[in-house]
Amino acid sequence: MTLRVSVEPRARPALAVRVGVPIASLAAAALVGAAIIVVSGNSPLEAYRTVLDSSLNGVRPITRTLVLATPLILTGLAAAVAFRMRVWNIGAEGQLYMGAIAASGLALWLPADTPKVLMLAAMIVGGSVLGALWAGVAALPKAYFNTNEVITTLMLNFVALYFMNYLIFGTVSFWRDPGRNYPQGKLIPDSAELPIIHHRLHYGLVIALIAAVVLWWVLRGTTWGFELRTIGDSPSASRYAGMSVSGKILSVLALSGALAGVAGAIEISGTLKALDPRAVATELGFTGIVVAAVARLNPLGVVPVAVLLGAVAASGAKLQTIGIDAEIVFLLQGLIFLFVASGEFFLSNRLVVSSTSAAMSQTPATEAAHE
Amino acid sequence: MAAVGETILEVRDLNKSFYGVAANEQVNFDLRAGEVHGLLGENGAGKSTLCSVLAGLYRPDSGEISLDGQRVSLRSPHEAAEHGIGMVYQHFRLVPSLTVAENLVLGLKGQGVRLTLRAVETRVAEIAEEYGLSVHPSAYIWQLSVGEQQRVEILKQLYRGARILILDEPTAVLAPQECEKLFEVVRHMADQDHSVVLVSHKMEEILGHTDRVTVLRGGRNAGTVPTEDATASQLATMMIGAEHMPEAGQHEPRRIDDAEPVLTVTDLHVTGDRGTPAVNGASLEVCRGQIVGIAGVAGNGQREFQEALAGLRPATSGSVRLGDRDITAASPRRRSQVGLAYVPEDRLGTGLASGLTIEENLVLKSYREPPHSRFGVLSSSAIAATARTLVERFDVRGARRQMAVSLMSGGNLQRAILARELTRSHDVLLAASPTRGLDVAATAAVRGHIRAETDDGRGVLLFSEDLAEITELSDLILVMSRGRIVGSYTPETLDVEELGLLMTGAKDHGAHQDGGRAA
Repeated sequence: MTLRVSVEPRARPALAVRVGVPIASLAAAALVGAAIIVVSGNSPLEAYRTVLDSSLNGVRPITRTLVLATPLILTGLAAAVAFRMRVWNIGAEGQLYMGAIAASGLALWLPADTPKVLMLAAMIVGGSVLGALWAGVAALPKAYFNTNEVITTLMLNFVALYFMNYLIFGTVSFWRDPGRNYPQGKLIPDSAELPIIHHRLHYGLVIALIAAVVLWWVLRGTTWGFELRTIGDSPSASRYAGMSVSGKILSVLALSGALAGVAGAIEISGTLKALDPRAVATELGFTGIVVAAVARLNPLGVVPVAVLLGAVAASGAKLQTIGIDAEIVFLLQGLIFLFVASGEFFLSNRLVVSSTSAAMSQTPATEAAHE
Repeated sequence: MAAVGETILEVRDLNKSFYGVAANEQVNFDLRAGEVHGLLGENGAGKSTLCSVLAGLYRPDSGEISLDGQRVSLRSPHEAAEHGIGMVYQHFRLVPSLTVAENLVLGLKGQGVRLTLRAVETRVAEIAEEYGLSVHPSAYIWQLSVGEQQRVEILKQLYRGARILILDEPTAVLAPQECEKLFEVVRHMADQDHSVVLVSHKMEEILGHTDRVTVLRGGRNAGTVPTEDATASQLATMMIGAEHMPEAGQHEPRRIDDAEPVLTVTDLHVTGDRGTPAVNGASLEVCRGQIVGIAGVAGNGQREFQEALAGLRPATSGSVRLGDRDITAASPRRRSQVGLAYVPEDRLGTGLASGLTIEENLVLKSYREPPHSRFGVLSSSAIAATARTLVERFDVRGARRQMAVSLMSGGNLQRAILARELTRSHDVLLAASPTRGLDVAATAAVRGHIRAETDDGRGVLLFSEDLAEITELSDLILVMSRGRIVGSYTPETLDVEELGLLMTGAKDHGAHQDGGRAA
């Protein structure tokens, strides 16, 4: 008799499993993070207390967390909608830059006394359109020549980054403030700033929350969302059902790019107030991929996950004051991603420990694995 | 090593079943040194199971395997290789970005840390020379043609010391000239005292290139004969079985003389995945109230033909008409709207989206139509209502509302597909292997639904590899071989022996051009 551990697929995991596995994954991430903090010569307890204090303890920490979570919700949605159809848009980063360029450009170009509502609408629409077009650059060859969108969207990030840098650092462009010696973006007028909810928390959060709810409903309750889910689930069945896959690739990537573009517009309007390439290029688009993955591509799940990662990010500056490198923040985010992604396996499978006699024949499932 | 003609491999009373379905029952098989032994049978006859057991991939439920008179157990492909048994699969197991020599040593034990590829290449060149397998050892796999890749697979087995080589339908992927070359190599190997098991369902290959032939039917032995004593018709009868010979007038063919054609295919040409012609000028007609069955061995263009009819694959020339409408270039959605129902062979993945729920799958073709949606907004209550009705009417069991359909059984999957396809307004049902893998009850239910189609004046085009199913249901039986319709029978004129010969390509009527309508 030998003990055998085999893996079996789970039908639909029980609620306890669906809640328990992510929590266990977070705990595991915290534990490994603690070990690394110890190795770096610091106290993990102190570090985690600092993280909690500077992100959740009090109104100011909470507003800071939510301000950081706002763009992550939008880039998380951008990744989630594309990934649901198995279109791997890795380009939210660049699409966000283009959204920021469009929004700041419109804010500077439109008369400063334009009514706030019109100004903000123009910035958000402009940001989403340029984000969508930027995604479209990768979507067209994907839809009609089946190019690999991972590579094209990833490469376009660099193009967008260097374009944004050029506008401020490389030339005296329309975006650059000519009155300063150090290259800097022009400040947008007051009419282009998002109104404030409390302290530094702006209404961009509300826009992001509305986007999450709307996207959740679109995926669930519209024919467009139904087609997207069907194509993502089985391309062959969707063609059989008469759906147009290439048309869908265009619209999904456009929506994904638009969401990232809105994130860029809101960063300009709510937080940065000027096109400042170093402040825009903070990997919000890439972190959105982590957010979407941890949220299991569920638009409503994106919100709490973005807040969680926002909280970790909010503590970066404070951690430095107690002598821990700010990089530990990225490390923690990475660990969370790693463990939650591994936890995924246990959501769809379970380990079965059984004792079998060695002479027993193999089950067909394990035989298939030999092939 | 055994002398030529001595039995080197013997299989006694082999049993193997999957999920309670017997794939091999009491199978006996013996192989002599230096012979080419044909293994003939229809799809699902158990050839692949037997070979996979010999190759160590499956373990038998019971039965004995002896090599050189010694009982052995082959618990893994590695153990089989140690006993000198090597198998070449239809789908090659080669890494495209590595060279021939690198592929040969891939996974071999005892290589040490440093690869001595130079030595490998020298040895490979020697073996290649010896057996007439012209392949350059340092070429990359991706640079090679399919025929060359197959030679690499054979080389791989020889390099690993195989003296028994199993070739699983080796010519399925080859062009005719490459086939000739392969058989030269096979003969060469036999001359060098190797034994070759040649799996095939093509009669002329078996007759032309083997020394003995074992026929399997329904997982059991149908006989082993020396090839020189065998005739094509004898083998065809063994393959298909006398009990499948329907008696004349087994069922009343529906009279179709005055019926109007509802599906007309004229001189259709379709290109396959590999860019080669798959359907070469097929013509047929299906009338109202008629079931037309297409018999044939898999891989003779049936899949491409179905896909072209369903709009999933473009036709290179020819036309398809549904009633008065030309639908040759219509989209799958358009075809569905004008009255083509399609039950594809691949149920989970094409017929149904495996990760969606039963409700979503039941409206896969009608989700854009009211009441299921209006202005792009789905009505979950209308969808649930439709699903409830269909599930009840077609007796789909085992489905729960939020559950993915992939967890349902095959019979219920097929019921779900039929429920969706047959309740949409349609004139023609295109059904591909509709009962394959189903249990008795589900098979009866599916056949009942297909028969009922004709009562309502619809036409059915049925593709099946199961000859019994074709003969039981069809009013007109067409035979497809090499992308053409090569024969046409009514139940009264059916000659199963001749049909078997046509199916296996042993006999060619020449392209059958009378439009498929029975004389």
